[in-house]
Amino acid sequence: MSLFVLAETPAGYGLLKASDKKMLKNADLAAELGKPERLIEMLKLKKFVKFDSAAMALEEAAAVSQGQIPPLLTSLLEDLQAEKKASLAVADLKLGTAISNLPGLNVTPVAGSDTMDLFRAVREHVSSLIPGLDQDVLDRMTLGLSHSMSRHKLKFSADKVDSMIIQAIKMLDDIDKELNVYAMRTKEWYGWHFPEMAKTLNDNLAYARVVRSVGMRDNFKDADLSDILPEDVEVSLKASAELSMGVEITEDDLKNAVELADQVIKFTEYRAQLTSYLESRMRAIAPNLTALVGYLVGARLISHAGSVLSLAKAPGSTIQILGAEKALFRALKTKKDTPKYGIMYHSSLVGQATGKNKGKIARMLSAKVALGLRVDALGDDDEEDDEQRAALGLTNRIKLENYLRRLEGKAALPKGTNVTPSGEIVSAGQFSLKETGRYAVDADGVVDHDMADADAEPATKSKKSKKPRIEVVEEKDVDMEDAPEDSDDDSDEASVKKLSEKEYERLADLSGISVKKFKRKYERGDIQLGEDGNPKVLSKKELKKLRKTENNDEPAEPSPEKKKKRKAEDGEAESKKDKKSKKKRESLSA
Amino acid sequence: MAPFTARGGRGGPGGGRGGGAPRGGRGGFSGRGSANGVRGRGGGRGGFGDRGGRGGRGGPARGGRGGRGGARGGPGGMKGGAKVVIEPHRHAGVFVVRGGKEDGIATRNLTPGESVYGEKRISVDEPVENDDGTTTTTKVEYRLWNPFRSKLCAAIAGGADDIYIRPGSRVLYIGAASGTSVSHVADLVGPTGFVYAVEFSNRSGRDLIAMAAKRPNVVPIVEDARQPVRYRMVVPMVDVIFADVAQPDQARIVAMNANWFLKQGGGVLISIKANCIDSTAPAAEVFASEVQKMRAESIKPKFQLTLEPFERDHCLVAGIYTRGE
Repeated sequence: MSLFVLAETPAGYGLLKASDKKMLKNADLAAELGKPERLIEMLKLKKFVKFDSAAMALEEAAAVSQGQIPPLLTSLLEDLQAEKKASLAVADLKLGTAISNLPGLNVTPVAGSDTMDLFRAVREHVSSLIPGLDQDVLDRMTLGLSHSMSRHKLKFSADKVDSMIIQAIKMLDDIDKELNVYAMRTKEWYGWHFPEMAKTLNDNLAYARVVRSVGMRDNFKDADLSDILPEDVEVSLKASAELSMGVEITEDDLKNAVELADQVIKFTEYRAQLTSYLESRMRAIAPNLTALVGYLVGARLISHAGSVLSLAKAPGSTIQILGAEKALFRALKTKKDTPKYGIMYHSSLVGQATGKNKGKIARMLSAKVALGLRVDALGDDDEEDDEQRAALGLTNRIKLENYLRRLEGKAALPKGTNVTPSGEIVSAGQFSLKETGRYAVDADGVVDHDMADADAEPATKSKKSKKPRIEVVEEKDVDMEDAPEDSDDDSDEASVKKLSEKEYERLADLSGISVKKFKRKYERGDIQLGEDGNPKVLSKKELKKLRKTENNDEPAEPSPEKKKKRKAEDGEAESKKDKKSKKKRESLSA
Repeated sequence: MAPFTARGGRGGPGGGRGGGAPRGGRGGFSGRGSANGVRGRGGGRGGFGDRGGRGGRGGPARGGRGGRGGARGGPGGMKGGAKVVIEPHRHAGVFVVRGGKEDGIATRNLTPGESVYGEKRISVDEPVENDDGTTTTTKVEYRLWNPFRSKLCAAIAGGADDIYIRPGSRVLYIGAASGTSVSHVADLVGPTGFVYAVEFSNRSGRDLIAMAAKRPNVVPIVEDARQPVRYRMVVPMVDVIFADVAQPDQARIVAMNANWFLKQGGGVLISIKANCIDSTAPAAEVFASEVQKMRAESIKPKFQLTLEPFERDHCLVAGIYTRGE
């Protein structure tokens, strides 16, 4: 049972063999290791493998620091295969476990506090233990390796997707401020020329657009503002332009004011685009959070925590007061009541509540947010669509709405009430389709394949998911097509003999299907009675063939049979999926 | 020491507006408490607007006041054009700049001609004695070290007994942030020493790497200091650990790193922000409990120093690592 020591240096791996097998059991090991000359006696170099290139060093070091066994280390460890029973001291417990799981290797790794003194000594005297490895060589290697490791770390940082949300929400805040300043300045500037307009026209964007399209006040009477303003406002604006008390300005003055108005318009457009970007991004990254508090509050929470993951690690109570740190610490110091809400105050649920209920609902909501976030950040949602991913958030949202209504003494939401993905509450049966520009994950530059696959699902803009959407619609058309055809058959129905109940039973028995089914099919004309009185059930295929020959001179059916069939299958799969998600939701709400 | 002319405060490409201190921009545009080198503002907090115009253009006539010093009236910058004298400080590698309104602390610039964070540089003619007895004068550049921005400098200015960091030392710097203080420590240890700078935040790590790229004695490590295992390959045994992490468990973090990397008898410097450990308890109590924790981790406390007036409720605790004693 010999003892080996694995020394990881920035230049390569060294395998040292201890002269004393029971070295680690020695009580005053630390003292002995302190003397360099003793150390050299105690540890002898068995083998040293050096990294061939900087790229290799990076690869090896990255793997080793994660507790994995990189190729070069594997090849070094193969040298130990000859040893029957050996123990190997490694610096990292995790790496030790990985080594013990290596097949065909009969070594017991030793790691932990026993070996700490040993490794301290090895680290201190590595250049004397490994000949040819001078301190300045080592320092140079260290510098190169550390630079490439930290660059690598930055390049493949995990929270790059979150940082886009953080930047977007910060930009949104900045742009709001800026936009307000610019709009005010436009009003001030143009106000010298036409002060009455600011009174009639409150909307900043409309104001800027009017300034741009009209220009001088004199042009108002001939201007057509129907696509900017409602008619009554336009009329009153034109009237006040006639008798304005504003000063005259030159073309040059106007040009500058108009340029500012242009900026306002441009910024407003950009703001709208940024909003939809943020919304789609939030829905892709944190669907449950978005369902519970909306994308703006959600993004603010993420921005405050730094990343989705670190927010998901926070308990509900922390999420509740996020953004109210100052008040919290003041309250803690003065032993007063701690704040009830921070950023959460702006969520629609808390906004609806009154008085004391605000605090209560903030508490409940943040508890649910904490749950939803954990699903978002850590959930395994590879093959699910948007709605399914947000199932937890959506059900809890309804639950909380009802809680709040109970607290406020209002009637609960009617059964079947739903939350749209955009966070609005819709009553049962109401159908709303809000097409929002979804975030194209493909454009993201996320290299990770698993992740890309998982994200590709919700992206509508990618072709993949757009297809089924269209197909659903088409499928309906198919049904519709069937219906008129059926009615065509209905005309024939008169020719179909009415049969008695008994006759039905007999024929159904003959054709081997249930009476009810038989009756329906018979009435539709799908069953023909042969001359001998035996029923003949036409299969769907046959029916179609039949119809085709019938309708031959009519325009051909828009969708070929093959496509139809595929769609039918799709439909089936769809309904199955729906059922699944329904079930999931029911179980959640139960 | 020869008298000399101080140069204007406008620094390298990152210097921006004179005295544009990254930290001054806090609460404004910068992301996540990290420094934002591009739009740092001297003095004003929450700055993004353009009001004030403090920190001005640091022309040769009037050096911009540096960083927060500008706002708080600390010894931010030496007046340009004035005759100043540079003297070595009691701690080797640190220098005192005399001659302005107030004295300042400086380190000898390892990369002459460049500022790291827009700090002021002073270049001076220094006579060097050759082997044959003749003397030649060479230009030596010093960088002013602002105690309002660096806790280590605040400790030096506050009269720390020993900083353990000397020319040639190997220093493990935990909580390196953007590398502003690290650059001064790198100056201090000189080309024969090494600074191993650990910083967890990606954003700050970016600036740290950029700084380290220009200084061959800084080893940047973007890792969690709670997991020394992750960077064991790039850190050898060091002489000093300096920690400025502001975490509730910072004593444990320091102890862990000392256990892995600190030489027997090596120095430990921990900057403690009372609020970050316990915001309700009085500062003195927090410091005492932290010192107790260090003792338990076999770090023998040597002295404790408050960082007033540079930082509020901060202190620096120094100790010696006495493993297994």
